[in-house]
Amino acid sequence: MSADATPLKRGWQRLPPGLRPRDADQPGRGRLWRVETIVLLLAGLLLLIATVNDVVLSAHTNHRLVADLRTWRDYTGHNYKNVSAEQDIRKYTTTDVVCGNTTPGPPKERIQLCLQVTGPTVDGLRTARGGWYLPPKAENLHRYRYGCFGPPKRDGKCTR
Amino acid sequence: MNVAAHSELRPARTRTAQWATPLAAACALLLLAATAEIVLDGAVGHSPLIPKSPPIAGWLSGIGERLGFRVFLIAVLAFAAGYAGLCALGRSVSKRWAIALIAVLHAIVFLGPILLSTDVFSYIAYARMGVEHGINPYQHGPIAIAHDPVYHYVGPDWKLVATAYGPLYTLLSYPFAPLGVEGALWGMKVLAMLASAGTLALVWRCARLRQLNPVTAILLVGANPLYVIYCLGGAHNDLVMLLLMMAAVSLTFAGRDAPAAAVVVVGALVKATVAALLPFMILARRSRRQIIGALGALGVGLLVGLLAFGVDGINIVAALNRDAAFVSTDSFPNEIAHLFGKPGVFPIDHDLLKGALVVIVVHLMWRTWRGYDWVAASGWALLAISVTSTWLLAWYILWPLPLAAIARDRRLLVATLAVQGLFVAHQLTPLFAPVS
Repeated sequence: MSADATPLKRGWQRLPPGLRPRDADQPGRGRLWRVETIVLLLAGLLLLIATVNDVVLSAHTNHRLVADLRTWRDYTGHNYKNVSAEQDIRKYTTTDVVCGNTTPGPPKERIQLCLQVTGPTVDGLRTARGGWYLPPKAENLHRYRYGCFGPPKRDGKCTR
Repeated sequence: MNVAAHSELRPARTRTAQWATPLAAACALLLLAATAEIVLDGAVGHSPLIPKSPPIAGWLSGIGERLGFRVFLIAVLAFAAGYAGLCALGRSVSKRWAIALIAVLHAIVFLGPILLSTDVFSYIAYARMGVEHGINPYQHGPIAIAHDPVYHYVGPDWKLVATAYGPLYTLLSYPFAPLGVEGALWGMKVLAMLASAGTLALVWRCARLRQLNPVTAILLVGANPLYVIYCLGGAHNDLVMLLLMMAAVSLTFAGRDAPAAAVVVVGALVKATVAALLPFMILARRSRRQIIGALGALGVGLLVGLLAFGVDGINIVAALNRDAAFVSTDSFPNEIAHLFGKPGVFPIDHDLLKGALVVIVVHLMWRTWRGYDWVAASGWALLAISVTSTWLLAWYILWPLPLAAIARDRRLLVATLAVQGLFVAHQLTPLFAPVS
């Protein structure tokens, strides 16, 4: 402790022994050290499990995304690179919407075909249950959709 | 142990020592190769891992191939493996070789492109807002200078956001503004490099004062993959904060309490997080000089900030509250939320996390009062801040590392490296499930 702390030090001596400051930790690994170590190990275990779980979840999502893109290409017969997939971020279902141009061109610059893709991945593909069209340069919003087919038509996903 | 057993063990130890130097050399080569791979491939550009940037590394662009996630992650894993080996063999590495390795790693990163983050362009944009356009960077985001050449390079998430950095850092960045975007970028790289060199020199000094192996200590920090690739590669201002943090620790070790506390406050006026050191420093030293030093520096710093930027420039709490509300996919609270089936972090979770952080800090303060190593306590507090933060970036989990390298409680080092390992592990999804 520094020299100017002496008057302060005298003040600390009035505190009960259990509350007085110490200049060094107690030697050895006491009970508190063991409790801290156990808490740290448990916290580390939680972080480890959470990390592994997140990596597995992300890997499943990526596999699903790859299957979605393959399904769109397989269904349309177009091997386009710029195909976009949207996940259901409202209800967290595994039904995804995959959109891509119907004719060659820059992303979203042509009429787009969107497919509602669902179900398990079999041989790298999922099931396209239906879909709709979007005009060029339009986002996948209810007001732009037209020509619905399959279950989206029944569910009123299109305005036209 | 009897004499016979002792004499049997000696050849085994000698054999291990014989292998240690070549193994350490192999680990060092692995680090250099991984860094060179990332930098040379990154110099090609057109990669999601390399932000849009003026062509500062164009002369390297003909050597590598476009940097993809797969190559990047394999290089980071190789770097991490080399780092682990090197730290384990730290005693077999000479001082000269350790410094040379770290210097070469720094040089490779310095010559290459900006890696993984657009933050450095935000620093330059805030500087140019103040110097070139007369706009207060604490009141407006870079969108206020949408016509400035640097705006093109600012990350999309930050174009509307006013600076969250301390007023002293903003003033420190001002001299770079008139140099143009490319000149300022080199300036920021030089600043990051010098701050890193200073930090490592102070880690060395503090390790020696604590009778720890200084070579292992600087290897732990200066050859760390997150430190070299993410922090130095992005020329992050966290390096300036780390320099000031280690300066404060070094001054405390030298018994210079008032300047040490003042330097912590200066550090907090660069990046607020470093203020976490102050309570532990005060509880350990219990010196009036610290209070005087801290208050003096705070008064001068706030006055300078107020004169330069007005009230917004010194309202650090508002900036911290704003940033605390952000959520990144890599943050541990977000991962834990997913584990329990929640889609992400909710406002109640922010309150719970703040409560947990308060409990941890109070426990650490009590332990420091009762003689626990204040350097370790400060490191634990910084680690707890990064782990409980919902906005976690790679360079945030570097904050406790220099303290962990010199702390008396080696659990801090293990915990810091474990958290860094988990952070890297969380990035690995594209290795298992690439998206084509």
